[in-house]
Parts: sequence; structure tokens; C-alpha cells
Amino acid sequence: MLLYLVTRLLRSGLGLLLILFVAYAMMFYGAGDPIKRMFLDKDDLPPDEIAMQALREKYGLDEPFLVQFGNYLGNLAHGNLGVSIRAQRTVSDMVRASLPISLQIGVSATILATLLGIPLGIFAARHHNTATDYAIVAGVTAFNAVPVFVLGPILILLFVSFLGVMKVPYGWDGLFSSKAILPVAVLMMAPLPVVVRQTRAAILEVRNEDYIRTARAKGLSERDVAIRHMLRPVLLPVVTSVGLVAITLVNGAIFVELIFGIPGFGGLTIEGLKTVDYPVIMATVLIGALVVMISNLLVDVAYPLLDARVTKGV
Amino acid sequence: MAQAPARIAVPAATAAATGPLVPARAERSLWTDAWRQLVANKLALAGLVVIVAFFLAALLGPALAPYDFLAKSGTSALAPPSREHLFGTDALGRDIFSRMLYGARSAAFVALTTTSISLVLGVAIGAAAAFLGPRVDGWLMWLTDVTMSIPSILLAMLINTALKYRFSNWFDAMYQQTRNKFFLNTWWLDFVLVFGAIALISWPMYARLIRSQAKAVSASLYVEAARASGASTRRIMSHHLVPNSLGPVIVAVTQGMGAAVLLESSLSFLGIGIQPPNASWGSMLRDSLDLWRSFPHLMVVPAVTIAVIQLAFIFFGDGLNDALNPRQRRV
Repeated sequence: MLLYLVTRLLRSGLGLLLILFVAYAMMFYGAGDPIKRMFLDKDDLPPDEIAMQALREKYGLDEPFLVQFGNYLGNLAHGNLGVSIRAQRTVSDMVRASLPISLQIGVSATILATLLGIPLGIFAARHHNTATDYAIVAGVTAFNAVPVFVLGPILILLFVSFLGVMKVPYGWDGLFSSKAILPVAVLMMAPLPVVVRQTRAAILEVRNEDYIRTARAKGLSERDVAIRHMLRPVLLPVVTSVGLVAITLVNGAIFVELIFGIPGFGGLTIEGLKTVDYPVIMATVLIGALVVMISNLLVDVAYPLLDARVTKGV
Repeated sequence: MAQAPARIAVPAATAAATGPLVPARAERSLWTDAWRQLVANKLALAGLVVIVAFFLAALLGPALAPYDFLAKSGTSALAPPSREHLFGTDALGRDIFSRMLYGARSAAFVALTTTSISLVLGVAIGAAAAFLGPRVDGWLMWLTDVTMSIPSILLAMLINTALKYRFSNWFDAMYQQTRNKFFLNTWWLDFVLVFGAIALISWPMYARLIRSQAKAVSASLYVEAARASGASTRRIMSHHLVPNSLGPVIVAVTQGMGAAVLLESSLSFLGIGIQPPNASWGSMLRDSLDLWRSFPHLMVVPAVTIAVIQLAFIFFGDGLNDALNPRQRRV
């Protein structure tokens, strides 16, 4: 297990390094000079070659590619994400201001999806192949099929214009304000069908196993059978699926934050790419990849703990 | 030896006399079987109908559209749906129905091209991983994992930003040098960028599938039997490997096409996909963000269309999976 974990971490770390390298190379060779872009965007600033050169030197952008990338990695090793060229703030500050908002939305969406999805899945499995079952599965699938940037506006239209039960949710007043309801609900729709389907399939698979029949035969109550024998094998695929939706949540956050005007990580990503702000782009790529890698790692570590048959990652 | 035909003939003769034990039926292949199942599945059939309609609309768009998708009628901007304009008009007075048809054209074009590109990439990488030994396999699968661990929209945006500046600079330079008008017209550049971005984020799915299929099938008993009986590698490939892994690949391609349609509209919604003046459902939706409160039809039409197409791809893909991969059929 320890050896597995070490190789696993090495693989991920090496992968992260590759991602950072490719991202930096894409910025350096593809996206062009952020200083020139800044001068071109501001109409009152004529592109003055001397001023631009001074700024380039200030941010170390006049160095060759490998030196720049090396400097970036060196700073990163010290926990320094650099200074945003546009915002004139340290990127760490910008991340600290925006990431918690996105994490709050993402984590609460995941928790809600799990809390809602497992009972729905169990209910569907109990009524296997009836209209209830089909309605639940088709319903969550339908919500999943509709992309976030379609579902968001439709829900706003429904609740604000037609039902008139809320004001236009735009901005961020903390997780427990009414503005947070729709963003979390929309983001929840991505993991929800995965949890429902996995729970349902797991229960259908488990309920005909010999050991369940044995448990019933030896006189355990339905409740004890469910808790002591069925819960574990059902939790396994659910944990996996919840871990694997991290990528959907990061993708979804970009849209949800755009639609609902939330100043979170997604907004930072869009803004950074629009202004070719190297340090901001690198930070968003780094954090995006880290979130996905860490959740994948957690799934792999949790797997053997939940299922003794699995001794190492498959 | 001479007795052999006679011995076989005996049961045939008795069968003819007493009537066949099993009612005669036409030979059924996997494909006819799959088709029957697919048609029996109402949701999948509905999905197929929508998908066919979508591609027909894309193909026949210019012939079906009542107006030019760029033509502005200044008098009737933001008109609600009417007999004259089936889905109303947008802020510039352009007919939304015509723009939807041209948007279908963009979406279908992107879906077909990017799916082909990423399938080719995925087959090449997946086959290399499966057949070129464990060392190559390890590295390629590492690369696949790494690509999959970047959130796809983020990666697409990154690729788009990186390619766009390079390409438009390059085109400018080419125009300066050659004075060829071709380099001024860059409407198709958006498509190239979108192709690149979507293909580069979609290949890992195909690579993983092809690798696992190739490994599973080549380890199967019937391939071993074929090899033992002296079949050439080529024959094993064409008679066993390809036909047996075709089902899952077809399913993946269907789902991948739906995903590509979605990605195209996502990127266009973010303003980095298909740019105006080209029509795209995603950018129509984005344009409606400021106006939908007073003019809901601007948003409802593209939103509902995207939702219906996505559902169609999902239901058809599920139905296809049940029909083509009977062993994996879900409970």
C-alpha cells in the first residue's frame, strides 16, 4: 500500500509538472506578450517600447522560456504564485479571495447530491422496473443532459419571471443567502444522476447475493440486512463516483459563476485567460489540476478501506 | 467415408417427414438483432429521430432557412415568434429560425470533424499502448491520465487562447506578404481553433477504450484458438479483433458526438468558440443573457434545442449500448 501510494504520488507529481510546462509553453509561444496586450487594451496608453520593456523586466518576461519557467517553479516551491500583471495584486491573494467561494458551492453541491441521490437510488431500486423507477432515472438523466449554461438561465427565468418567488440571483452574499440557492442547485445536477444510477445499480446487484439471502434466512430484520450487509458494497461505487465528479464541478463552476455573477475561481480563470495574465493562468491551471488529482487520489485510497477485496488501485 | 453423407441424410429425412422441430427463421446477425432491439426501445428510437433531424437540418440548412441568417430587418428587431418569423427575431432583427439552422450546421460540422480527429488520435494511441509493450503502455496511459486530470473546459480555453493569437498573427503576416485576399477571410479560423481544442481534450476517452478493448479481445480464448490454428495476424485483426471491439467503439463515438456538440456550444457560450458572424447556439444563448428578461424567446429557443439534442444523444447512446453490447446490459 505504501509503495503503491509513493508511485502513485510520483506519477501525479510528474504529471502536474508536465501540465505546468505545457501550459507555460502554450502561453509563452502561443498567447503572446501580456504586456503588449495590456497596452493595446488600454486606449489611453500608447504602446511605448521603453515602458513596455521596463515592465517586461520587472515581471521577468524578457528572459528566455526555460529561465522563465525555472523561475516560476522556484517561486512555486516557496509557495509564491507570483504577481498578477493586470490586477497588481499577488495571485495568492486573488486565489484566497475567490477559491473559497467556489469550494463552498462545489462541496455543498456534492454533499446535497449525495444526500439526495442515495435515497433516490435506493427508492428506484426498491421499485425496480416500475414507473417510479423509470421516472427517477429518466428525470435525473434529463437534468444531467441539459448543460449548466442552459439549465441556469432556464431556472432563473422560471423562478424570477414566471413564478416571481425570488429576485434575480446575481453576485455572492455567502453560502446561506438566497442568492446561493440556484447556483448550488444547478451545480448539483451534474453529480446527482451519477450517484442515483450507481446506488441503484449497486443495490440491484447486491440484493440477490447469497450472503444477503443468508442474512435474511438467519432472521435479521430488513433494517439490519440493509445497514450491516448492503450499505458497504453500495457505498463503494458511490464514493468512486463522487470522487470522479470533481472535474465536472470545476467545469461547471466556470459556467455557474459566469451566469450568476459569482466572483469565484471560474471568474478568475476566464479573466486570466482573457488578459493573458501568465501568473493567474498558471495558478488556475495548477489549482484545477490539483483538485482533480487530489480527489482521484482520495478515491483510490478510500477504495481498499471500503472493500477488502481490493488491495491496490486497479 | 462413403457412408458419411448417408448418415447425415437420415436425420434430415426424418425431420422432413415429421416437420421441423424448430420453426425455420432467417439467419440473424448481431447487427439485425441490435437493430430490432434498438427499434423496440422507444426512447432510443426517439433519440435517433431527433439526431437524424439534426443532421438533416444541418445539411439542408440553406435550403430550409426562410431568410439569410445574416440579413437584418431593422423594422422588426426583437420581434416575438410570429407566422412571419417562426422563432422571432434577435436584437439585430435577424430571423432566429434561420440562425438556428445555421447554428445546427456549425454544431454538426464541429461534431463530425472533432469526433473523427479524436477517434483517429485515440485509436493510434490506444493501439500503440496495447501492442507496443508494457513500457510504451505505461507512458501512454500516464499521458492519458494527465490529460484527463485537467478540467476539460479549462484546457480548451487554454488551447484556444494559445492557438488563436498565433494563427491570427500568422494570417496577418501572410496577408502582408502575399496580398492574397484568402488570408483576410478568417471565418473558418474559429472552426480550426474549436476543432483543435475539442479534439485535444477528447482523445483520452477513445484511447482508453481502444486499449482496453484490444487487450481484452486479444487475451480472449477465441483469439488464442485462432492463433493456435495458424491464422495470420492480419486475419485475426480483421476477423476477430476489429469486429468484436466495434460495438463499444460505435457507442463511444455516438456519445462523443453528443459531447462534441455540447463542447462547441459551451466554448461559443464562453465567447471563445464560433465567433460572429458565424451562427452558433452557444453564442446565441450568450447574447440572450442581457435581454432574456424582456424577450424570453431569445433564450428559450437555443436552450431548449441544446437540451433536446443532448437528451437525444444520451437516450440513443444508451439504447445503442444495450443493443450492441448485450453482455454489458444494465440491470
